[in-house]
Amino acid sequence: MTPPASSPSLIIDARALSKWYGQVIGLNNFSLQISPGITGIVGPNGSGKSTLFKVILGLIKPNVGSITVLGKSPWRNSDLHSSIGFCPDYESLPVDSTGREYLTLIGKLHMMESSALSKRIKEIVGIVEMSKALDRKTGGYSKGMKQRMKIAGALLHDPDLLILDEPLSGTDPLVRKDMIDLIKRLNKEHSHNIIVSSHVLFEIERMTHNVALIYRGRAVASGDISEIRNLIDRHPHNIIIEGDGTLALAKILLDQGYVVSVAFNDSKSSLTVQVTKPDDFFNGLPALVDMARCSVTNMYSLDDNLEAVFKYLVGR
Amino acid sequence: MDLKRVIVGVSALTVHSTKKLLLGKKVFITILVALFVAAVMGYAGSQSRDPANEGTNLMDVLILFFFMPVMAMIFGSSLIRDEIDDKSITHIATAPLDRAFSYVGYYLPLAIVVSVSMVIVTSVGMVAFFGQHSHGGDALDIYIAFVVLVTIGSFVYSALFLAISVLFAKPVLFGLFYAFIWEGFIGSLPGAIQNASIKHYLRSLGSGWVDSGDIHAWNQASDAWGSGVVLLGLMIFFIFFGAYLFREKELA
Repeated sequence: MTPPASSPSLIIDARALSKWYGQVIGLNNFSLQISPGITGIVGPNGSGKSTLFKVILGLIKPNVGSITVLGKSPWRNSDLHSSIGFCPDYESLPVDSTGREYLTLIGKLHMMESSALSKRIKEIVGIVEMSKALDRKTGGYSKGMKQRMKIAGALLHDPDLLILDEPLSGTDPLVRKDMIDLIKRLNKEHSHNIIVSSHVLFEIERMTHNVALIYRGRAVASGDISEIRNLIDRHPHNIIIEGDGTLALAKILLDQGYVVSVAFNDSKSSLTVQVTKPDDFFNGLPALVDMARCSVTNMYSLDDNLEAVFKYLVGR
Repeated sequence: MDLKRVIVGVSALTVHSTKKLLLGKKVFITILVALFVAAVMGYAGSQSRDPANEGTNLMDVLILFFFMPVMAMIFGSSLIRDEIDDKSITHIATAPLDRAFSYVGYYLPLAIVVSVSMVIVTSVGMVAFFGQHSHGGDALDIYIAFVVLVTIGSFVYSALFLAISVLFAKPVLFGLFYAFIWEGFIGSLPGAIQNASIKHYLRSLGSGWVDSGDIHAWNQASDAWGSGVVLLGLMIFFIFFGAYLFREKELA
C-alpha cells in the first residue's frame, strides 16, 4: 500500500530509503512514518538503527529514496538542527572539556545568549541530575553520567524532536530505570517528541507503546506494541526451566498441544521447552509442575534476544 | 544565511578549538621544537664568525624550510580528522551551523595556534643565536622578517593540511609525503619545478625583506608582490576546497 503524501503532522516520513557502504547495506528499501510522541525503534545490533538516525540528522545521504524530518529534507540542511537534539550511542563528549564547557559550546552553536545559556544549563543539568558533576572533565564521567550529559546536550536548545540512540546501552539497572523515567518525563512534562532506539523490546515497552521493528535495514513491523506482541506470540518461544524432577515435567509437557519440543540441556535439571502459545504455557505451568511433583528453581525465555523474532517476522 | 548565527557559531568554535589545541598534548611538540632550535642555534651562535649571514641561513633552513611545514602538518592533519575518527565531531555536525562555516571555525584556531607556535620557535632561535652577538638593528630586522614569514606560512600551510585532513583518511601519511618529499625535495630542485612549492613563494617574499644570508642572494626568487598574491590565492583556494569537502562529507 502506498503511504499517504507527506503530512505535516508526521515527524519522520521515510520512503523507500536505501543506503549502502560499499558491499554493506545499511538501509534496504526502508519506509517508515513516525508521528508525534515517543516512538521506539527496536532492532538487533547492526539492523540499521544508527544508519537511520544518521540519515535523519543529515550526517549521511541516502543512495536511493526520500526522507523528510519535521517536513524538511535533512541533507545539507543545518537549519533543521535547531529543531533536533541528538544523543548518539557512542562516546561523543570531548574528553578534555568539562560538562559546562561542552554545554556552553552547544549553546553558543545554537545562538543562545550568555545569560540565558547559563540559566538553561542550570535548568537542564537539574533535569538530568548532573548538577554536581557539571564542572568535572567529561573524560572522568561514568557511563551513566556520560549518557546523562549527552542527553543534556541534546535537550539544551529545547528541540522539537529528541533522538536517543541506545540511551540505555551499557548502563546498570538503576541507571536504566532513571533513564526510562527521564525519557517519559521529557515527553509528558516537557512535550518533547522522542525517537528512542534499543535492541531490547521490553525496555522500549516501558517507555512507549508505539514501536517500529527494524531488521537487516528494513522496517519489518510498526505500530502499537501489543499488535507486535501478538505477532511475536505466534512465533514459537524457547523457554528454559531449571529445577529438580524435570524429567517427569518433560513427559507431561510433551502431551500438551502448545508444546512443540522438549530437550534436556547439559544438566539433567535444565530443560528447553519450545512452545507456540506462551500465554497458555505460562498459565498452565503451575498445575503441570504440581502434577509432576517437581520444583522449579529458575525459568527464563531465550527470546529476549530479538534476533529469533525478527527472523520469524521476515520469514527466514 | 543568518550572518549573526555564522559569526557567533564560528567564534564559539574558534575559542573552543584554540583552547583545545593550546591545552592539548601537541603543545609539548612546540616546547620540544623550541628547545631543539635553542640548542642548535645557541651552539651555532657560539661558534659563528659571520653571525648575520649564518644566523639568517639557520632561520631560513631550520625554521622556515623545515619546522614551518612540519608543525603545520602535525597540528593541521589531526584537528578535524581526530574528531571525525573519535566521533566527537557529532555535536558540531548536528549544530545549526552550515558545515562550511564550521570548517572556518576549525581553520582559524589552527592557523592562530600554528602561528603562535612558530613565532615562539622563531623568537627562541633568534635569542639563542643573536643573543650572543651585538647585531641589535640588523638582528631585529631579520627577526621581524622571519616572524612575518612564519605567520604568513602558518596561515597557508594550515589551510593546506586542514584540507588534506578532510580529504584523506590517513592525512599524516600524505602530510609527511608533502612536507618532506614535495616541499623538502621538489622545492629545492633547480629550475622552474621549485615554483610548485609553497616554500618557494615564502622565500621569494623573504629575499626582498632580508639583507643577509643565502635567501637574500637567492637568484631564483619570484617577484615579491606576485609571491604574495600566489600565497594569498593558495590559502583562499585551500580554505574553500576544504570547506567544500567538509560540507559534502558523509560522517558515517
